[in-house]
Amino acid sequence: MNAEASAIRAQPLPGDFAIWIFIFAELTVFGVLFAAYAFARSAHLELFNAAQLGLNRVYGYVNTLLLVTSSYFVARASLSIKAGRSTACGHWLVGALGLGGCFLVVKLAEFHQDFAQGITLSANLFDMFYLSLTFFHFMHVVMGMAILAVVARKAYAGRYSAADHTGVETGGSYWHMVDLVWIILFALVYVIH
Amino acid sequence: MKYQSQAVAKPYFIAALALFVGQIVFGLIAGLQYLYGTFLFPELPFDVAHMSHTNLLIVWLLMAFMGAAYFIVPEEAQTELYSPKLALLTFWVFLTAGALTIAAYLFVPYAHLAAITGNAVLPTMGRGYLEQPLPTKIGIVLVALSLLFNVTMTLIKGRKTSINLILVGSLWGLALLFLPAFYFPQDTVKASFGWWWIVHGWVEGDWELILGALLGFILIKMTGVDREIVEKWIYIIVAMTLVSGIVGIGHHYYYTGAPSYWIWLGSIFSALEPLPFMLLIAFSFKMLLARRREHPNKAAMLWAMGTPIMAFLGAGLWGFMITLAPAQYYMHGTNFTAAHGHLAFFGAYAMVSLAIISYAMPLLRGRVANSAAAQRWEMAGFWIMVLSMIGIALALTGAGIVTVVLQRAAADPMPFMQVQDKERVFFWLRELAGVGFFVGLLVYLRSFFISGEYEYAGEMKRALAT
Amino acid sequence: MKSPAVLPFKPCTVSWAVLLALTTISFELGAGASGRMLMAAVLALTLIKGQLVVSHFMGLRRVRLEWRIAMAAYLAAVGGVIALAYSIT
Repeated sequence: MNAEASAIRAQPLPGDFAIWIFIFAELTVFGVLFAAYAFARSAHLELFNAAQLGLNRVYGYVNTLLLVTSSYFVARASLSIKAGRSTACGHWLVGALGLGGCFLVVKLAEFHQDFAQGITLSANLFDMFYLSLTFFHFMHVVMGMAILAVVARKAYAGRYSAADHTGVETGGSYWHMVDLVWIILFALVYVIH
Repeated sequence: MKYQSQAVAKPYFIAALALFVGQIVFGLIAGLQYLYGTFLFPELPFDVAHMSHTNLLIVWLLMAFMGAAYFIVPEEAQTELYSPKLALLTFWVFLTAGALTIAAYLFVPYAHLAAITGNAVLPTMGRGYLEQPLPTKIGIVLVALSLLFNVTMTLIKGRKTSINLILVGSLWGLALLFLPAFYFPQDTVKASFGWWWIVHGWVEGDWELILGALLGFILIKMTGVDREIVEKWIYIIVAMTLVSGIVGIGHHYYYTGAPSYWIWLGSIFSALEPLPFMLLIAFSFKMLLARRREHPNKAAMLWAMGTPIMAFLGAGLWGFMITLAPAQYYMHGTNFTAAHGHLAFFGAYAMVSLAIISYAMPLLRGRVANSAAAQRWEMAGFWIMVLSMIGIALALTGAGIVTVVLQRAAADPMPFMQVQDKERVFFWLRELAGVGFFVGLLVYLRSFFISGEYEYAGEMKRALAT
Repeated sequence: MKSPAVLPFKPCTVSWAVLLALTTISFELGAGASGRMLMAAVLALTLIKGQLVVSHFMGLRRVRLEWRIAMAAYLAAVGGVIALAYSIT
């Protein structure tokens, strides 16, 4: 690796350091949830396999596409502000928020269908995990969107610049974390059986 | 002290410490009654001593939190308190009501007390921590409303800092979470839900936010670190507390008749409850290392640094030990719970109260910090109390192990009273550690009677000479 | 900041396209047979997706080595625990 490349790699974590403490704490929380799901499944394999068939995997698939794209938009917002383009940054963030909103709508529609099918916390262990995990993640999407909305408003107000854009990266890093755990959750709950 | 009206905090702090002494005295009596069951019987039976011990704990912590609120809110809002007179009146009402309640516990048989205070009309009495008669419970609500009105009005007319918003917000939470005290249905499942919402809605949720706000305030003042940085950490700690605590409270629903999914949800989320305490430790020590000044009040700094560590030990570690459903199946209600309760209440809430008192009292008495001699007494008190409390927790943990082995998990369980007999050595150790704690408390209180303030010049000279 | 102009697209755009493709592959794999092969394949794809998000969306490829290791270790740990739990059935 040449000197220039290693200099590039020595940058501090994007965004505020405190958000990274929180991101790692959140990742720990989700990690524990995933592990609990995986081991509960091992102990009740047949129940999980049967109950998993009750899910409509298309919802999960569409939502993954939405969230990944939303995360991509946030990455573009970050690039825009680094180039000093506040308005473009704001537009990308609004786009990301729109996709986040779509995620919530799709998820709510799925919940609606689940409840109509009699999926409840008490129904069986898989349903309990499925509902808790996705609802817990749902609340994180809501929180991430609240953060992105504040960042977008400040971006349009010209409060960030090419030199000072920590806020964009702070909110963005949190949003990417929400995306990251969904990617794992999608594979775990919807796909692997 | 920057605003005159902050002075109303002083009587609250003094009363808190006086009630603290009362709590420890009842604790020592109850501890001795584990060894000699008829000690002070029938004048002061165990249930009354135990009830006075726990109720005084709650009342003195509430006194300290209220004092802290009256001290912090005006300073953060940069304005005088909305009504110092109301705050003072509230203090006397609260103190009188508290004293009358304890006197009633001591001199009126509990069943008779229930009959004459209208428990038949609206049953609320008889549950742990919520033994107070109806008029006292209504009094607590009125006192809380008066506090909330006062600090909220102060907040509205002044500067709205994050510390203040979190503090006042969590005081609202404290008051709202007390309301299930008036809900005591026949159905024992519903009744236990209501009970846990108060006791553990407070200690595993709302009070952690108060703790965060108090610690944040103290560290901003003492380290001189930028408010922005401190506030960010506090927000993260608050968020993590809510993430783990709201569902984590489910570890109280196991085997109570609540739906069985709580066994999973409660186990997983309560296992995460140590996280906010770990963040608190990281936060405090980061602030300590980043400090921009050496505050002369070393004792307050010691309390502020000790709080997150002891809170992590007591609430985090000792709590985790008994929180998972399979462990709790054997350990619930044994002395493991008592060990956790002692170390967590002291480590988190008693210590943060003593931290804010340590920081604020010298200011309320007109000096930045107490004299070095007074601080030495205070810090000696800190160490004796902390180590004694660890002793109490370890002794109770020992007793808990004996119960689990001989009674809970045994193929041929030994009867309860025989198990208690086997645990006598641990109850002796606990009582001795309790006496140690009381000595520590007296040493701590001694520091308040050493006059004079911290003298920079004298201390500097002494430091250079050695 | 100079960025190496090897690709006609931004790295994050390429990552995005790859993420969409891998998601679709996982989804299609999941429609088929179940079992250990599926588990291994989907888990591997998921970890790759996770690392793409970490490197190119979060931008961690530019930060100090410790942080990249911490994040990679997290993904490896989660993947490892899941693989362990699924293989003991």
